[in-house]
Amino acid sequence: MQNGETQRGELLRIRDLVVEYTSEGETIHAVNGVSLELKKGKTLGLLGETGAGKTTIAKSVMRILPETTSKINSGEIYLNGKDVLLLSEKKMRAIRGKSASMIFQDPMTALDPVRRVGEQIEEVIRLHNNTGKNEAQQWAMEMLETVGIKADRAREYPHQFSGGMKQRVVIAIALACKPELLLADEPTTALDVTIQAQILRMIEKLKKELDMSMLLITHDLGVVASQCDDVAVIYAGEILESGSREDIYDHPTHPYTRGLFDALPDINKEVRRLTPITGRMIDPTDLPKGCYFQPRCAYAKKSCRHERREMAEISPGHHCRCTHFA
Amino acid sequence: MATLLEIRNLKKYFQTPKGVLHAVDGISFSLEPGKTMGIVGESGCGKSTLGRTVIRLIDSSGGQIIFENKDVTFVRGRELKALRQKMQIIFQDPFASLNPRFTVERTIREALMLTKRYSRPEAMDETERLMELVGIDQRLRNSYPHELDGGRRQRVVIARALATGPRFVVGDEPVSALDVSIQAQIINLLQDLQEAMDLTYIFITHDLSAVKHISDVIGVMYLGQMVEICPSNEIFRSPLHPYTKALLSAIPSIDIHHQQESVILEGEIVSPINPKPGCRFSARCRYSQAKCGEPQSLEEIATDHFVFCSRAREIND
Repeated sequence: MQNGETQRGELLRIRDLVVEYTSEGETIHAVNGVSLELKKGKTLGLLGETGAGKTTIAKSVMRILPETTSKINSGEIYLNGKDVLLLSEKKMRAIRGKSASMIFQDPMTALDPVRRVGEQIEEVIRLHNNTGKNEAQQWAMEMLETVGIKADRAREYPHQFSGGMKQRVVIAIALACKPELLLADEPTTALDVTIQAQILRMIEKLKKELDMSMLLITHDLGVVASQCDDVAVIYAGEILESGSREDIYDHPTHPYTRGLFDALPDINKEVRRLTPITGRMIDPTDLPKGCYFQPRCAYAKKSCRHERREMAEISPGHHCRCTHFA
Repeated sequence: MATLLEIRNLKKYFQTPKGVLHAVDGISFSLEPGKTMGIVGESGCGKSTLGRTVIRLIDSSGGQIIFENKDVTFVRGRELKALRQKMQIIFQDPFASLNPRFTVERTIREALMLTKRYSRPEAMDETERLMELVGIDQRLRNSYPHELDGGRRQRVVIARALATGPRFVVGDEPVSALDVSIQAQIINLLQDLQEAMDLTYIFITHDLSAVKHISDVIGVMYLGQMVEICPSNEIFRSPLHPYTKALLSAIPSIDIHHQQESVILEGEIVSPINPKPGCRFSARCRYSQAKCGEPQSLEEIATDHFVFCSRAREIND
């Protein structure tokens, strides 16, 4: 294995990423040594709850973390074999929107409210391609059609679109330059389920057409089940379990992963009481010495409080930080 | 069993520059004490407006609200104040519904004092009891909302709602803003409280699996109308309205080996402003026919299973 660089068939490789924020003199340990691999043409689901560090990871890849309050302490992020953390801002600008794009949860805040949607798509096209105004306009209208919006709506403003339609516009901007990598951060969380179904199906179709790879960030086990090839479960800035979709859904092994499945109301079963995960997320300014999930874990042993656990391969390709159920 | 709440042909219209918006348009149902009715539907279907109209936070445009065998549709003044103590609401965002300058203790105590049933020292004791009841540690009594996480904040909101001694509580997406692991904690709490205090709930949400878990009866809303009402275990087993079917099939399943094909609805919800007579779902419905343009009625197709669709019998044969 070449040291750290992207392997064959791999588009994105994150190694030992550590990111901190500072707020009011305190250090928030948001990402604590995350390693991930995304294969070409595949979708990797990054599954976790609020504050787990999911968005911070995606923003690190795009290098759009807030400059003054955040710091990437260590780690490497290889996109097509190049460490984006070593690139100049100028080179990075050529990557954003071109080879890697990101879409966010709330489409309203991602769009400029005072510019026509057509112009907003043209902007990214003209930034990365040597096209004239008319050509870019034509291209933008084609993109709108691609995401299921009539081309003549290019002259309208974001407020004239519904939430689902706005998210389609955001996707049109993200995919206009045919990126290899799409970072989708809770892309359907703000939408109704019937609209979510439309958007997910569309993303899936475009992903195939453009031969794109996707990092799908979500807290929704159902969305991951329907979209992803591989899954990484993240908690308190650390990957606790990773593997193929089948590994995670058929053989969830980490107590946290199992807890997530147990906490969901199952529509096919009649149970009186749900089984929540007790307690709450640890304080990211004060990380415990041992396992981060241990304070909430029903299976914790004494040693869990003091010893850090490394990822162990429990079956080919299926890694887990806890071997209690392995 | 006696009925606690009966809603008859309830309407809530809003005047907008573009015309009259029919947010709630002729809804009827009744609810027995100690039971939970789940109301599901997508954004803009009028489910929150329904909840607010039922507890008299906003005035209705038509219809009747009967609570404890009394018509409370138009009660005012002292009577309305007394009614408010019996009907409470919990909103989605606990941060927005708590006063940021009030401590936990003061938030709950203020609601207690409003009832005029407690002296100051009694209110202190009662605050303590309520905090214990909803699972907030006593050491947090002097904490402010921003110092609490979402789950704890929602517990404070619940304690405040219970302070007036309600019989009936509307939860408007009470767990939607919370993480999965915390959601389950709050749902369990709501169920325990219901049992302990004989509460009656309306649980408004877009989350169908949560609503099925907590409800006895489920009502599905579309554009201001109730398109289907049935016992909660029936809704997944045999949904009868085409919209309910589409809604259910759109939920991504966590069963990776039986991924069902979702019925993708074309288009989006049409405008509830000056709606045409006839079925409001027909524009997106795959079973739509000419007769769907005529006014529909809520029909009992199976025992306790009501459907607002003139083709319900044919398409479910």
